Amino acid sequence: MDQTQKDIRALVRLFEQSDWDDLRVETSDLKLVISKNSNAPGLTVTENVPRARAPLSSSPDSVEVAEPVAKEKVTEIPDGAVAVTAPNLGTFWRAPKPGAAAYIEVGQKVDADTTVCLIEVMKLFTPISAGVSGTIIDVVAENSAMVEFGDMLVLIDPNT
Amino acid sequence: MNFSRVFVANRGEIAVRVLRACRALGLETVIGVSDADRHSSGARLADRVVVLGPAPSKDSYLNPNLIVAAAMGSGCNALHPGYGFLSERAELADLCSESDIAFVGPTADTIRQVGDKISARELAQAANVPLVPGTGEVTTVEAAKSAANDLEYPVVLKATAGGGGRGMAVARSDEDIAKNFDAASLEAEEAFGDGTLYVERFVENARHVEIQILGDGNGAILHFGDRDCSAQRRYQKVVEEAPATAVPNDIREDMRAAAVRLAESINYRNAGTVEFLYDQNRNAFYFIEVNARIQVEHPVTEEITGVDLVAQQLKIAAGEPLSLTQDMINLSGHAIECRINAEMPGRDFAPSPGQITAWLPPVGDGIRIDSHCEQGYTVPPYYDSMIGKLIVHGTTRAQAISRMRGALADFRIDGIHTNTHLQAFLVGHQDFKNNKIDTRWLERTLLPAYTKVMGV
Repeated sequence: MDQTQKDIRALVRLFEQSDWDDLRVETSDLKLVISKNSNAPGLTVTENVPRARAPLSSSPDSVEVAEPVAKEKVTEIPDGAVAVTAPNLGTFWRAPKPGAAAYIEVGQKVDADTTVCLIEVMKLFTPISAGVSGTIIDVVAENSAMVEFGDMLVLIDPNT
Repeated sequence: MNFSRVFVANRGEIAVRVLRACRALGLETVIGVSDADRHSSGARLADRVVVLGPAPSKDSYLNPNLIVAAAMGSGCNALHPGYGFLSERAELADLCSESDIAFVGPTADTIRQVGDKISARELAQAANVPLVPGTGEVTTVEAAKSAANDLEYPVVLKATAGGGGRGMAVARSDEDIAKNFDAASLEAEEAFGDGTLYVERFVENARHVEIQILGDGNGAILHFGDRDCSAQRRYQKVVEEAPATAVPNDIREDMRAAAVRLAESINYRNAGTVEFLYDQNRNAFYFIEVNARIQVEHPVTEEITGVDLVAQQLKIAAGEPLSLTQDMINLSGHAIECRINAEMPGRDFAPSPGQITAWLPPVGDGIRIDSHCEQGYTVPPYYDSMIGKLIVHGTTRAQAISRMRGALADFRIDGIHTNTHLQAFLVGHQDFKNNKIDTRWLERTLLPAYTKVMGV
């Protein structure tokens, strides 16, 4: 799923949880209209520009695909849970390499020095440790997505 | 433009400056911040903020891989490095180039060429740009005396293997050479493992004069006149002005021509500054270095030319041909910039971070403030102390000085200590008003006078 589709899903989720009736988002690249009103069309999405990243040598009119909003971030955690957060910006990877088994799954028991994921910066991969022993409650970050310093990656219940 | 989204890889006032220029051109913006700058005004101004790492610069602003990863991850196709930080690190320019991100600045090769002192001097020589006259190695006192007489006293004996003042001795006569030669050689031997000395003309009464240039990367170079940055403390500029009216016009013309020649010889791309030392005693000028970036003091040039240099940077990076010709660039009036630092001049300039409880800048004709600060902002302790720049423009230098004095008096900053009072004393000092200063004046004359007046 690409970034724009992920953003649309995040917007729809937010909208569903809200008490709004209608949502309309327009940017230079995208128009999104959602309504809880039974008379209105349910959801329309129009993208105005071609998807591909334009090479710099191309004509001045081609426009880079925009990510209209930064990804919705999880910031609240269940009582007693411990969050493993990103020590710096980078790409979040669940597995040592594509196709391999993920380092951890929800429900798995871990020790403080169990590797739970990788953060990659320009092909430099840093393993991230659980930091506490316990059980994995949730994997919050999305595989292959960019995370920022301080973003929650994995939630652990340290009492189990 | 053939890019649409710019990553701003810097912080503070220059981040705001670049963001504003991008917005004026209809470009989307992303800023990379450290954790300490999450809530800065730059973060609010940008279309998107990405948090690179924790507060220390080495974990955020000084990490080229983090920065380029952030630029790519946020869909940017151009990157402006500001000044300082990684702006003159070829590695950042290379990474951008490899990742299809337009670096708003020179090529990585140019950065390397001019960043190396020896290579820069060779380029200058090849372009017929004068260097500080000096010799190759001198192995005897007699050879040193002979060289010194050719170069004209005063001279300085220097270590070929090092710098930083070690193995250096100023000599004003043959007797001084005889007295200091062996000691200087010994000191050099101890400090750098090599006691070889050379002799260079000592510029005692110097002005720091620099030429702003823009290049299209294909050999076309424009200059935007000169700046005089002689008011310095510990080699940091404190006040800058444009044009450099204390320097004779023919010297200024020669400097401008030399700067353009040097830039042409390397097909310089984007903005840069060629720095010279003007020897006031000998009425000669010498090349110091090239700064391959936009500089802190660029606003004084903008004020006297009416050109937005950052906008020009973006256009050049987008591959556009230069939109100006040399005869379209006119210098009008006089501009002065005072750097505003969060520091305590009375306590050896110790930094003064903390929360700004009142921020009331001066307003009026010919007054410009370049700053990211506002009431309620907390100046973090992790970065350098410059919190803004106060720039004035007047039709004459005298009017600019008077405007600056009024502006400094009106500038209210509470909650932290700043250098505004010292700046006011500086621009009101007789020597500054008469434009009779040199690069050591601030430390030699101004600061002792200030200390006396403040009764410290």
